[in-house]
Amino acid sequence: MTDSRILLLVLALPFFGSLLSALLPRTARTAAGLVAGSVAVLATALLIPFYAPVARGEIVRLEIGWLPTLGLDLVFRVDGLAWLFAMMVLVIGALVVLYTRYYMAREDPVPRFFSYLLAFMGSMLGIVLSGNLVQLAFFWEMTSLFSFLLIGYWYGNRAARDGARMALIVTATGGLCLLVGVLLIGRIVGSYDLDVVLASGGTIRSSPLYLPALILVLLGAFTKSAQFPFHFWLPHAMAAPTPVSAYLHSATMVKAGIFLMIRLWPIFAGTDAWYFIVSFAGLATLLVGAWAAIFQHDLKGLLAYSTISHLGLITLLLGLSSPLAAVAAIFHTVNHATFKASLFMAAGIIDHESGTRDMRRLSGLARFMPFTATLAMVAAAAMAGVPLLNGFISKEMFLAEALDARGGPVIGFALPVLATLGAAFSVLYSLRFIHQTFFGPPPTDLPKVPHEPPGWMRRPIEILVIACLVVGIVPAATIGPVLQSAVRSVLGAQTPTYSLAIWHGFSAPLLLSMIALATGTLAYFRFRDALNRRAGPPVIARFKGGRMFERVLADIVRRARSLEGLFGTRRLQPQLRLLVCLACLAGLLPFLQLGYATGGLPVTPLDPAFAVIWIVGGICAVGAAQQAKYHRLASLVLMAGAGLVACISFVWLSAPDLALTQLLVETVTTVLLLLGLRWLPKRQPEVWPDDRPPARVVFRRSADLGIAIAAGLGAALLAYAMLTRPLPDTISRYFMEQAYPQGGGRNVVNVILVDFRAFDTLGEIAVLAIVALTIFSLLRRFRPASESIEPPVQQRMQDAADLHAGGRRVGDTKKDYLLVPRIIMEWLFPVIFVFAIYLLVRGHDLPGGGFAAGVAMSIAIMLQYMAGGTRVVESRLRIRPLRWIGAGLLLAVVTGVGALAFGYPFLTSWFRYLELPVIGKVPFGTALFFDLGVFLLVVGATALMLVAIAHQSIRTPRARTPARPDVPPVIREEGED
Amino acid sequence: MTQAPDLPLWAAILAAIFVLIGAGATFIGSMGLLRLKTFYERVHSPTMGTTLGTVCILLASACVSSVVHARFSVHEALIFLFVSLTTPVTLMLLARAALYRDRVAGDESVPVEDDRSN
Repeated sequence: MTDSRILLLVLALPFFGSLLSALLPRTARTAAGLVAGSVAVLATALLIPFYAPVARGEIVRLEIGWLPTLGLDLVFRVDGLAWLFAMMVLVIGALVVLYTRYYMAREDPVPRFFSYLLAFMGSMLGIVLSGNLVQLAFFWEMTSLFSFLLIGYWYGNRAARDGARMALIVTATGGLCLLVGVLLIGRIVGSYDLDVVLASGGTIRSSPLYLPALILVLLGAFTKSAQFPFHFWLPHAMAAPTPVSAYLHSATMVKAGIFLMIRLWPIFAGTDAWYFIVSFAGLATLLVGAWAAIFQHDLKGLLAYSTISHLGLITLLLGLSSPLAAVAAIFHTVNHATFKASLFMAAGIIDHESGTRDMRRLSGLARFMPFTATLAMVAAAAMAGVPLLNGFISKEMFLAEALDARGGPVIGFALPVLATLGAAFSVLYSLRFIHQTFFGPPPTDLPKVPHEPPGWMRRPIEILVIACLVVGIVPAATIGPVLQSAVRSVLGAQTPTYSLAIWHGFSAPLLLSMIALATGTLAYFRFRDALNRRAGPPVIARFKGGRMFERVLADIVRRARSLEGLFGTRRLQPQLRLLVCLACLAGLLPFLQLGYATGGLPVTPLDPAFAVIWIVGGICAVGAAQQAKYHRLASLVLMAGAGLVACISFVWLSAPDLALTQLLVETVTTVLLLLGLRWLPKRQPEVWPDDRPPARVVFRRSADLGIAIAAGLGAALLAYAMLTRPLPDTISRYFMEQAYPQGGGRNVVNVILVDFRAFDTLGEIAVLAIVALTIFSLLRRFRPASESIEPPVQQRMQDAADLHAGGRRVGDTKKDYLLVPRIIMEWLFPVIFVFAIYLLVRGHDLPGGGFAAGVAMSIAIMLQYMAGGTRVVESRLRIRPLRWIGAGLLLAVVTGVGALAFGYPFLTSWFRYLELPVIGKVPFGTALFFDLGVFLLVVGATALMLVAIAHQSIRTPRARTPARPDVPPVIREEGED
Repeated sequence: MTQAPDLPLWAAILAAIFVLIGAGATFIGSMGLLRLKTFYERVHSPTMGTTLGTVCILLASACVSSVVHARFSVHEALIFLFVSLTTPVTLMLLARAALYRDRVAGDESVPVEDDRSN
């Protein structure tokens, strides 16, 4: 049952559950809980059998080749450490799911929460099961992302949004550093495979790139595991729902950094750089976190800072670089996850049942919730390191390691003292947590009357607390073998002998532990009233990481703005000028270096008729540019003329496919632009002071003319140089030869589009859909310039005449004028429709195809709009461009996926001749379905743009109120029907 | 450009005559567009090309296609149908717009609106 492919299933299950949960209705809390719970339990059950090979010291690997030449393969591996962490993620995940079901309020969209939570679970499993470092970094960033979504779950809450953003920026930046660090490691070792990397510790440590790689990887680990000075994001992340705090921000995600440091411990540890950086960061975090935790009044704030402090403790242990310290680090990671998750859940219950988390208002809750109180007390005792609990054993190991630490006499003396101090702080805040909340007189000003939570909400805490007790009392029999396999997978031959027992006789660590317990207790009872009066931790309160972060962020944004102001512009003309100049320069550079020469091909004699056509086209193009400023309509007409000349050229040069497409596209473009002209403000004629444009304007215009001529001439020269050279033997010959045998079509262009290069086409139609949606959403909120809000002069006059004449309604004049043309245009609809279908069907063998057919079809729709007006058309014809776009995209993808079902690669087409009754032998291929998808999408996209423009005209823009001329005009959208 | 295919002489002559007549008619229409003075006069001249010109060129095309493919070619009839259906739409819209503008501008030379609206 330990087929390595099961690993893939374990990893895929949470993501699958996440999707499933996301599709549930927002009130389905129990269903979503069931999905999440069963995913966690099932994945746990699947992972348990892997313990057998892992305990034997084997590594179970699953490799799926992806980009082997780049060293990027999907590698999943499980060894002792990965198994331990994966079980932690899954088991605590299952308990958190159970807890969440009862924690969340009825009005919260719970399926969304479970969807994020499961996706996070999958990402976290991805980190611990990754056998490839790049893959690990990828999952690493995914956990940051889902942590962001989970912290911001109550996005109505400002603190949640800010906390989520801060956590994302800090941890994702760290993730980027990690990625660079990983790439450096890959450069040193020559492989990203974890097993290869772990085997080449010596190479890495002796490499000059060791230090940069180490620092970058540690930046990733420190930001993720909230190490000083990046710890500030974790308390802000407490705005998340409590299950998230219990799961992500105490048990799992913040342990990802620890996991990474443990994982890479064999290759990084042992150098001075590692020792100093990691131990210092760990020690600072331990003390700063514990000190700040003492002064918190919020239960979750206290737990957050205590989490930071414990993470610092683990980091310090890893920094000490001795194998025994590494054992203690792994052991404490597990212990901390159990007691801290249960404490967070208890804090959540207190918050849930009493309405506040402020310790100054809480008091004497043991009377109201005795079970919860007992559970919290045991867990807090484990956190404080009271004997008979798991926290005691790992803390004793920590103190022993602090005593044995290498280094000079100063470190040798200071470390045990500081470690004991940290332990004493930990006793102090644990005691404060318990005593302040559960003991003392009954509370007086609580929002709710506290009572015990539902039994199932307490169950997860009970399980975790029992684990604390069992591990604390009989460690060797319970956690011992699992820990041993984890330790051996990290340390290998260096694995030390250690004993997990509560009683090692009277020893120095025990003495320090007792001192810490006694000092902490005494200090609490001495200072507890003073603590309640203080607003923040002394000394370090001035160091406000969160505020500094905000300030740095604001500074970056400000600088970015000023850079944008310096180098950017919103005006289109400079942008276009820059673009064209750059393109010219890029085109010119190679010619400056290598020189310009035309090819040797003989020039075909110029046909006079062709020359005349081109002269006409050129005049049209120049005229369009010349008229563009003052007579847009004339300019548009001239542009269409130039387009027609291009179309005739294609026919002349035997490219009917291009000619057809060009003609259709030209038609649609011209009509859409014509419709847009209505919304452009009228241009005023130029009035210069002395009837003469100033020199600066003349200069700018001449410069622009020069740029335009240079660009046009350059493109022409480039084309001429290309065309006078013989065509190199490109892939086009292959297409010409294989279009019929392989694609089953005689129209090579179409076969390339829907078969050989279908994937490109799929991408292109997706882009087209996005463009259409963008135009639609831009125009939906379009505010026309104030001078073009009013209907055009002619329309106003007609309407006025209609209004004053008896027996006529507004719009009658227009209707009369358009009567005959309208009837002809309406009757043409079926004709153009048939023509479009004809183009579509014959596309595979003759000029046509989905794109041309789609454009033709949209011309039919456009004609209807122009003839009848928006309201008339939409009352008769159901125009649903969005559905067409969706259907087209779906059809294209489904056709492509269909090939997979028959064992062929994506988008392989199938072709044969069908014998149809009446019609006879007909070519038929799956490419037709793909082309149908293209057709639908093109129709939808064009119709969507048309509808967006058309609806502008039937809106009733509110006239600008003269009293407040600076207010932009507001459009009432009552016309949207 | 593909050169003239193997046509029998009579067909070539027939097609050539049709093409020349069509082109001539279209040319006269274009000249009219250039030379005539008022809009209402001008609006008529391009119809030379869209009616007689188109018909003659289509006849030439039908003649050549029928002989080359050895079957009666009717595609051109469709082209004729659609050209003669759609061209009036443009002309009608243009004439209507011009008439409206002239009336609004108070031009005496154009016919006044009929009684229906008064």
